[in-house]
Amino acid sequence: MSNILEITLGIMTAMGGFVDVSELVFTAQAGAKFLYALIWVIVLGTIIIMVFGEMSGRVAAIAKQPVFNLMRQRLGLKFGILVLIAATIVNLITCAAEIGGIAIVLQLGVGIPYRLAACLATIGLILVVWLLPFKAIERIFGLLGLFMISFMVSAAALHPPWNEVVSGLVPQIPAHVSGAELLTFGYFIVAIISAVVFPYETYFYSSGAVEEHWSKKDLAINRVTTIVGFALGSLLAISILINAAVLFAPRHIDPQMVGTPALQVAVPFGTTGLILALLGMFFAIAGAAIETCLCCAYGVSQFFGWQWGRYQPPSAAPRFTLFWLATFVIANLIVLTGIDPLNLVEYAVVSSIIVIPFSYLPLLLIANDRKYMGSQVNGQYANILGIGSYAIVVIAAIAAVPLYLLSSGGQQ
Amino acid sequence: MKPEGPLKLVGEVRDLQIIDSDGVHCGIADDVECRGAPGKELVLNALLVGPGAYQHRLPKWAYALITFLFGDRLVKVPWSEVSHVTGHITLKNPGASYGLVQTERRFEAIVKKVPFA
Repeated sequence: MSNILEITLGIMTAMGGFVDVSELVFTAQAGAKFLYALIWVIVLGTIIIMVFGEMSGRVAAIAKQPVFNLMRQRLGLKFGILVLIAATIVNLITCAAEIGGIAIVLQLGVGIPYRLAACLATIGLILVVWLLPFKAIERIFGLLGLFMISFMVSAAALHPPWNEVVSGLVPQIPAHVSGAELLTFGYFIVAIISAVVFPYETYFYSSGAVEEHWSKKDLAINRVTTIVGFALGSLLAISILINAAVLFAPRHIDPQMVGTPALQVAVPFGTTGLILALLGMFFAIAGAAIETCLCCAYGVSQFFGWQWGRYQPPSAAPRFTLFWLATFVIANLIVLTGIDPLNLVEYAVVSSIIVIPFSYLPLLLIANDRKYMGSQVNGQYANILGIGSYAIVVIAAIAAVPLYLLSSGGQQ
Repeated sequence: MKPEGPLKLVGEVRDLQIIDSDGVHCGIADDVECRGAPGKELVLNALLVGPGAYQHRLPKWAYALITFLFGDRLVKVPWSEVSHVTGHITLKNPGASYGLVQTERRFEAIVKKVPFA
């Protein structure tokens, strides 16, 4: 019975924690610009994160190795340190984007000024991470992020043309898209893949598995959580796209603000809907802020072999603790400079897709190493999916910067 | 894997996490030290732990950056103190007995001053 409860909670946590500020921004914009034509990209990104999420959990459970240990071991010190620096910067920018997102939600919900909201949010997040153990943090924010289900309910209530929604599952380039708009379409493909496959998700997931002392008996939970939890989470992202296609596209609204998606629930359900949407966004983005911040500390601590983790009091892993504290403070300072959170989201998305191939390569290598993985080594299907997914993120990584520049960040 | 069994030094020892007998993370095997002479047996002497071991492994700029941020400490752990090698290296005794967790202890004293630490 406790296993069923554990699996259910795992699924719900994965679902509630799936959406973050970048998915809110890019899926809403994708729906407003290209209607349902990019739904397949969310599905593709979800398959990739399922494949690498499952692999990272399995490696953590069997080889007891989180991602940055592997990176150091498999890429070597010289190259590994470059990837560590890049990944830390990406996580820091993402953390700043998430804090900016929380500040906007607080501004919309409670009416406090943006910068004050960012400072209060940062203080709140620091207190949460300081006082709560890993499992509680993961569960509280994952489960409260389920307020995001209001976006799914809204999608059903708005009665979208379901035949068009289903046709969006087929990879396509809409016939009317050409010229500069084609570049924007390409940029959105890359950006959505990046937003769904954000590297911090794998870092956090595998570190969490090590923190919770996963072993072979947890492999079933790992598989169900990554497949069912992420699949349900992606339905939330698809719902945001559908809502934007129904509500924003016909009115030529380009959702350029982080808070705009909240209107998707406010239109059909009024004030109650708005409150539910803001609560969902708040907890989903706050959860992501904590994850990205901890990932900065996980990365550096694992790479240099320091004591790390939130399964123990802050003083038992002091350098890890000081590193995540510093990350929160620097991320908040970035927000306080007044830089538009939307720009931060764009930088985070473009830079993270470049880091992803270097993060996933060591994972793919060790998952194929029988010496470490024993009978849990990658099978034929896991390898086909793994190599296929890896090829897609490599192509996306190569295309990211040119598409960002040529499409002026998707504004063409 | 036993430390006296066959091991690939670069692939299976260097850059591996070191964990002491209490389960505490004590750093990474940043390099290895061997002893021997022409015509004599080459013997693995010690694990080198700490940023000071990066000098010959990193470009100058990266070494300068790392030592600026994290210092240039270098601790030698005798290979005879290694209990076993798996996905990490396990030591026979607590890390403090080799001088491995000094920096961690220094920061611990700072963090402990904060309530609920």
